[in-house]
Amino acid sequence: MKFSSLVLLVSSLFLVGRVEAQERFSVSGYVKDASTGEVLIGANVYIKELLKGTATNAYGYYSITVDRGSYTLVGSFLGYDNVEQPIDLTANRTVNIEMGLKAIVAKEFEVVGERGGGNTESTDMGRAELDVGKVQLLPALLGEVDLLKTLQFLPGVQSNGEGNAGFYVRGGGPDQNLILLDEATVYNASHLFGFFSVFNADAVKNIELIKGGIPANYGGRISSVLDISMKDGNDKGFHGQGGIGLISSRLTLEGPLVREKGSFFVSGRRTYIDVLTKPFIPDTSAFAGSGYYFYDLNAKASYRFSDKDRVFLSGYFGRDVFDFNTSDPDDPAFRIPWGNATVSARWNHVFGPKLFMNTTATFSDYRFEFGADQENFAFSLFSGIKDYGLKVDLNHYANVRHTLRYGGQYIFHTYTPSTVTARSGETQLSIQAPPILNAHEGAIYVLDEFDLTDAIRINAGLRFTTFSHVGPYDRYVLNDEGERTDVIRYDDGKLVKGYSALEPRLAARYRLNERSSIKASFNRGAQYVHLASFSSIALPTDVWIPSSSEVKPLIGTQYAAGYFRDFNKAMYETSVEVYYKDMQNLVEYAEGADPQGNGNTNFDTQLVFGDGYSYGLELFVKKRTGRLNGWVGYTWSKTMRIFPDLNEGREFPSRWDRQHDLSVVGLYELSPRWSLAATFVYATGQAVTLPLNRYVIEGRLVSEYTERNSYRMTPYHRLDLAATLKNKATRMKRDKTTGEKVEVERKWQSSWTFAIYNVYNRANPYFIYFDNEGNIANGNFQVVAKQVSLFSILPSITWNFKF
Amino acid sequence: MRKLLFSLTLLTILSGCEKTITVDLPPGEEKIVIEGTIEPGQPPIVIVTKSQSYFAPTDLTSFLGIYVQDATVIVNDGVIDHLLTPVCSDLIPDSLLDEAAALTGIDPQLLANANICIYTKPDLLGEVDRSYSLRVQVGDEVVTSRTHIPEPVELDSLWFRLSESDGTDTVNGFIWARFTDPDTTGNNYRIQTRRINLGEDGRPKDDINIAPIGSTSNDAFINGLTVDFVIFRGNSPYETDPEELANFSFARNDTVVVRLLSMGRDEYDFYRSFESNISTQGDIFTTPANVMSNIEGGLGVWAGLGVYERTVVCVPSE
Repeated sequence: MKFSSLVLLVSSLFLVGRVEAQERFSVSGYVKDASTGEVLIGANVYIKELLKGTATNAYGYYSITVDRGSYTLVGSFLGYDNVEQPIDLTANRTVNIEMGLKAIVAKEFEVVGERGGGNTESTDMGRAELDVGKVQLLPALLGEVDLLKTLQFLPGVQSNGEGNAGFYVRGGGPDQNLILLDEATVYNASHLFGFFSVFNADAVKNIELIKGGIPANYGGRISSVLDISMKDGNDKGFHGQGGIGLISSRLTLEGPLVREKGSFFVSGRRTYIDVLTKPFIPDTSAFAGSGYYFYDLNAKASYRFSDKDRVFLSGYFGRDVFDFNTSDPDDPAFRIPWGNATVSARWNHVFGPKLFMNTTATFSDYRFEFGADQENFAFSLFSGIKDYGLKVDLNHYANVRHTLRYGGQYIFHTYTPSTVTARSGETQLSIQAPPILNAHEGAIYVLDEFDLTDAIRINAGLRFTTFSHVGPYDRYVLNDEGERTDVIRYDDGKLVKGYSALEPRLAARYRLNERSSIKASFNRGAQYVHLASFSSIALPTDVWIPSSSEVKPLIGTQYAAGYFRDFNKAMYETSVEVYYKDMQNLVEYAEGADPQGNGNTNFDTQLVFGDGYSYGLELFVKKRTGRLNGWVGYTWSKTMRIFPDLNEGREFPSRWDRQHDLSVVGLYELSPRWSLAATFVYATGQAVTLPLNRYVIEGRLVSEYTERNSYRMTPYHRLDLAATLKNKATRMKRDKTTGEKVEVERKWQSSWTFAIYNVYNRANPYFIYFDNEGNIANGNFQVVAKQVSLFSILPSITWNFKF
Repeated sequence: MRKLLFSLTLLTILSGCEKTITVDLPPGEEKIVIEGTIEPGQPPIVIVTKSQSYFAPTDLTSFLGIYVQDATVIVNDGVIDHLLTPVCSDLIPDSLLDEAAALTGIDPQLLANANICIYTKPDLLGEVDRSYSLRVQVGDEVVTSRTHIPEPVELDSLWFRLSESDGTDTVNGFIWARFTDPDTTGNNYRIQTRRINLGEDGRPKDDINIAPIGSTSNDAFINGLTVDFVIFRGNSPYETDPEELANFSFARNDTVVVRLLSMGRDEYDFYRSFESNISTQGDIFTTPANVMSNIEGGLGVWAGLGVYERTVVCVPSE
């Protein structure tokens, strides 16, 4: 495979260099929304006469090169009116296309002559985009619109049980998803306890998930890429939107900095469970002083110097604040502050009609702290990551057959896997200096998407990555008892351990006819960061650690093939995909590992290593347009793990193994003002470890676990409903000059969303535990199994506005 | 602590719900379980039981079936084999039941109601810095182990301080201890307490030595340091009064025997993982983990313990 992709690369490079016989010119530019000035990502731009074209890149840029001639240039994007423009290509031309949203209510929802479906046209496999506008109409837990939870409705994407915003792609762990917010890495996309994700839907323009056939311009994670673009801000006028919900409120403001040249965007969200519950907790209550809330802040500014240069500065800042205090100083008090921050600075530059460059400098910060006080004892645990990155990507629109992308990336990581400080009375307990780990990660890549023949399109790429853990670092030499016997000291910048990997990526599409194609992909990736987790939900004890002399890079290899077919002029998109994924060097904590045992030893001492695999079949049917739209996704899969030091070396199902997973998402536009939405999920029960035996030590019942993840909880299923009522979009106004009444659009628009979560009140299992009651000596001793469920039927109401 | 966090989450975020379910588990394999200790100046105490399927019947008769009465238990002190003999509770006079309970850690009521045998040898007394191997045979099955009694480590001082909750509690408080960890790494500890003053029923408040959850620790963070730490009161596994179970403090005027046990690494691993196993049952914040045993071929522990023992009367020291 590696060799063949190399051959393809070389041959494609050869094709690029070929002398072109006829005079050719390029038409290039940006595609934007006519009302907001936001660039449109993934819009189709094509030459009507040739039916040849491209889609805009992540910055809304396109470029097409064809023979000299007169043509019609068409821009098309779902939900927007097609734009047609005649062009005379006698020289290179810059054409910026502004597209307007479709008329508010079209009498008949017909699909106008789109150029085939992107579904059967591209080499993309396992790729899905979410329409943020539609996501906001779907029912959500407590009315909190959640993009990550909506992703879980896609085939091959699994949730980790009730209320959890974490997602698991094709058998890969949560650390195997590369989550990018304006190209900066987000390490933990959930708020505390995983109930809500950190992405405020009001701030998001585009969300794209790639779960297979990951192109070479992405790297660093082996299972998926979730690429989220924040809105740029309206450069034509000042606008705002917001909402008031049961547990949080949101406000977004945007407008031009310099009209049609620069814009700003600010969006904030804060939950107020604490504010709502405070009046009900008297100051004398045992829990006075406790509270939990989180907030998110997104901000972005962009400025266009010319058609050639544009800069963006964007950032995200989110914090969870969790305090637990009781009025009794003997009781423990906890503080758990945590959060993510990202900053991206980007510069788009167009060198010429065929060459587009994006340069991004990024900063990511993720931190988790846990502090506890009790009596005279204080304990705190800190873990975090800081990344400083720089990345250059070039899009080279060589000709109508070839689009080349190449570039490089560098990240400087600083990890603090887990630092413990403790104090007892006046004595500071002896804890080692914080083990901050420094590492350099670098990558270069090249990929070529080209049409080999009219029917065959290839996306071939190669990525080369390196990772080096460097000093200052103290490696402890431990004896069999786990005691330190010696220290190997690495000075500042000195290499502790280095790795490199060659990552071939290949995807091919063979078009059977206008409406159907088959696709296949192969990709291999290396991952140099690992998440070691004590539990299935996000906690301070979950620690990000880099590859080290003990922890080898995670290597993922995925093979996938699929059949894609459109029906009824691409009103329906359907696909069947099969995949096989192999994962090497997975990390888990050793059985009986102790989170506090990380102190005074090497950060990777308590870990064990193993492999995993996953295979599956995914079916997807999507109705893209019409009053009724939505999709059905079904996955059949199997995900296993093999660790020599776990489960006595026997293979065991992964926590994310789900044999069946079905999702149905439906949206129905009842009238111009009312829209309805329903979602349904069904998934095989989660694999959990339960004790098979019990025995008695010191009069207490001890559980003996034998087979890991061998028990299945009952299946998970749930139906949610939502209805959204918009206020009237227009009002009657008397025209001052004519005196006639005319209908004008309202400036202030608002809507109410009513939702019911878990409509038929299913008690889905969250976890199972065994409990015992009574006294052995009295003979009334009993052992029982209990199942805990989290969310019963929950109605919610949210009011949203826009101006 | 984690359970507390979890319940709080549920409280804060939403009303969770809980129900009793039937879980269909395959039968597990029965194993020999050893609970054996040897302390300086004391004879070895070995309790031999068997593990059971999780949902095996729990009436008293079925439950007592776990106690093995016909084991052959041999302790070797490095010189010769000592055959331990079974001492069964039906032969213990009622007047000695409390003493037997304190020695074995088994509830006196249970000893009185049922015939439970432990294995011991009165003239084999543990010695500091000596190794002892254990061999237990039940039918054709043999399990073995080896332990060592380390030097006891002393507590520098012990005192009682009233709880400061709202400034009015003049009744309850905690015992504090100061101790100096020896300047060598690899010291492992466990704390036990026993209230020997009489309760309302005219019997000692505690029948057995009790180690509260979290009483096992090592010197990873405190090597060579002098530290003060608070000692919470644990509850007997046989305690069922919910009010008692929620109380971790001592009362003014309680007379408390405090025991600081020192032990080797394997024994420490056992007690630590044992405490974690029993406290994390049903805890989603952890991955279920088995107790780490030093019994070859079986479960449980054979522990040589260095013992420092002192009695403190709970009178506030100012």
